[in-house]
Amino acid sequence: MQGLPGSFPENPHARAPRLRGWLLLAPMLAWLALFVVAPAFVLLAYSFASRGALGAVEFGFSWDNYARVFDPIYLKILARSVGYAALTTVLCVLIGYPAAWFIARRPPVWRERLILLVMIPFWTSFLIRTYAWIAILKSEGLLNGLLQASGAVPRIFPEPLALLYTPTAVVIGLVYAYLPFMILPVYASAEKLDGSLVEAAHDLGAGPLRVFREVIVPLTWPGIAAGMLLVFMPALGMFAVTDLMGGARVSMIGNVIHNQFTKALNLPFGAALGVVFTLLFVLCYALLQWRGGRARPAAAPAASNS
Amino acid sequence: MKKLRHLILLGLAALCATTAFAAPKKKKGELNLFAWSEYVPQAVLDGFTEETGIKVNYETYASGEEMLAKLQAGGARYDLIQPPDYVAEAMIKNDLLVPIQREKLTNYGNLLPEYLGMPHDPEQRYTVPYMVGTVGIVVNTERVKDPVLGYADLFAEKHAGRIVVLDDGRELATAALYTLGKNLNDFSDENLAAVKPVLATWFKRVKLFDSDSPKTALLNGDVDLGLVWGGEAALLWKEDKKFQYVLPAEGAHMFVDLLGIPKRAKNVENAHLFIDYILRPEVSKLISDDFPYTNPNGAARKLLSADQLANPASYPKVDRKLDTFRDLGDAAAAKIDELITDLKNAR
Repeated sequence: MQGLPGSFPENPHARAPRLRGWLLLAPMLAWLALFVVAPAFVLLAYSFASRGALGAVEFGFSWDNYARVFDPIYLKILARSVGYAALTTVLCVLIGYPAAWFIARRPPVWRERLILLVMIPFWTSFLIRTYAWIAILKSEGLLNGLLQASGAVPRIFPEPLALLYTPTAVVIGLVYAYLPFMILPVYASAEKLDGSLVEAAHDLGAGPLRVFREVIVPLTWPGIAAGMLLVFMPALGMFAVTDLMGGARVSMIGNVIHNQFTKALNLPFGAALGVVFTLLFVLCYALLQWRGGRARPAAAPAASNS
Repeated sequence: MKKLRHLILLGLAALCATTAFAAPKKKKGELNLFAWSEYVPQAVLDGFTEETGIKVNYETYASGEEMLAKLQAGGARYDLIQPPDYVAEAMIKNDLLVPIQREKLTNYGNLLPEYLGMPHDPEQRYTVPYMVGTVGIVVNTERVKDPVLGYADLFAEKHAGRIVVLDDGRELATAALYTLGKNLNDFSDENLAAVKPVLATWFKRVKLFDSDSPKTALLNGDVDLGLVWGGEAALLWKEDKKFQYVLPAEGAHMFVDLLGIPKRAKNVENAHLFIDYILRPEVSKLISDDFPYTNPNGAARKLLSADQLANPASYPKVDRKLDTFRDLGDAAAAKIDELITDLKNAR
């Protein structure tokens, strides 16, 4: 987001890379070409093809698959997915931002320990962690056990909570899955934030709300933007959580794509959905960049005045 | 530039070295098995490798359609696959299977004749039965006191929010066809239209859709009734006798999972060796121990315990001839998928 080479034309190190530079880059470029660019083109080619016998792909050029993407039922699913992903993103910001800010303001030793805690869940497979949530939320699970033991169930709730296999469970699963992707980039921004800027703002008479709104948020915006992108996009395409924790009752766009490839055997339609999905990603990225670009001028004077 | 050339040479040398090492490995032999997840016990694979020295690469799928999709996409080459009956029928029609050389299968005679020569492969030229099962209703009799005999009882209003069903459009649509007294393999537009309101009512009462492990929600007590694979119900019964299995009164069908060799298979010989190994009674018994579906191997059934044979979900008392799924063709399958997507997302 910041420090793109193109934005510093006067930088002496930003000369055209020499052979050694290209050699160092080669493995990554080859990787990207093979596993990102090439599959994207395969997807694009599929999306214009049509379904043949037994799920075979018959190449050709037709917009039929794209026309079907805009069928009301799929638009509805897409809208619902955007809703779920947006809710997940908002919750992740609300939970993740304070957590990241708190961690970033600890002494270095504690910072490292706390960040380690955020990353520890990655040591286990995502599916296993999702099954753990099933064990927590199921009707005779950990949560209801605790509620009953504490007496909360007859007193506050008339009966054990039936959370599993509901939309609430899906949102819990999504927030859990993507919270670290919000905390880590926000933490990276917050850690770099110079504390004296906040003090200066206070000295100049800004109240806590104003400091937060006009100093802290603009300076940590790159982290928030990166976090939002890292949460929103994968949450949009998620299908495991809706299947396992939502009981496969409410589909998200990821479920539909998965279904087209594994059950309906309509690979071209699945590919068209995938392409639209990718375009959506590009759109979100551009929007955030644009918003980031507008936020920076507000932050820049504050930084240069210090 | 000299450095670059050096690097390229080094890379080429490395490539040659790895292929040189890989070559002798292949001669020992391997078998690329593409089968359902949770269907082939590790003990069977290990036993086969120990005896023959053939390495088995076991890749899995969760539906016959997923298997077909991967097979059709090319890429991977499999030597032995495990299609369900109606998928096998479509593959035979489209010339995607290699005939089985029956003279190589010394244990073929162990198979019970009632599972041979069925409509999907009338001459039994391309497939060998692996396991057989039914789709039926499982009830937690501790929680549900009223008798549940068929689909109408299962999806009754009073059971709303307590039902798990297979996440499989065709299975659900078939149940609706049975309820309407129609042929399970007739998905004409007229029948699809008739099925729609039935399914719409049912879907409102379903708590969750799960084909992979419908027994989990029943065991956890999140639901009390289910429309599940017989093998899943058999595992539940093994765990606790309160889980009772019934074949729905309106109609029930049987499925046969088969072994077949796809076109382009590299190790056809090894595939035959593996099929013959599986047909041995003591090996087939190992499969029944782990995955208690209906074993089509008569000699293996003789080795099963009385308890295994008494399991009502593995060996249900059948008072009628059970139908099987037939290949519907692509158009009907696509229509069922659209119908289910519509209904699931109606609210």
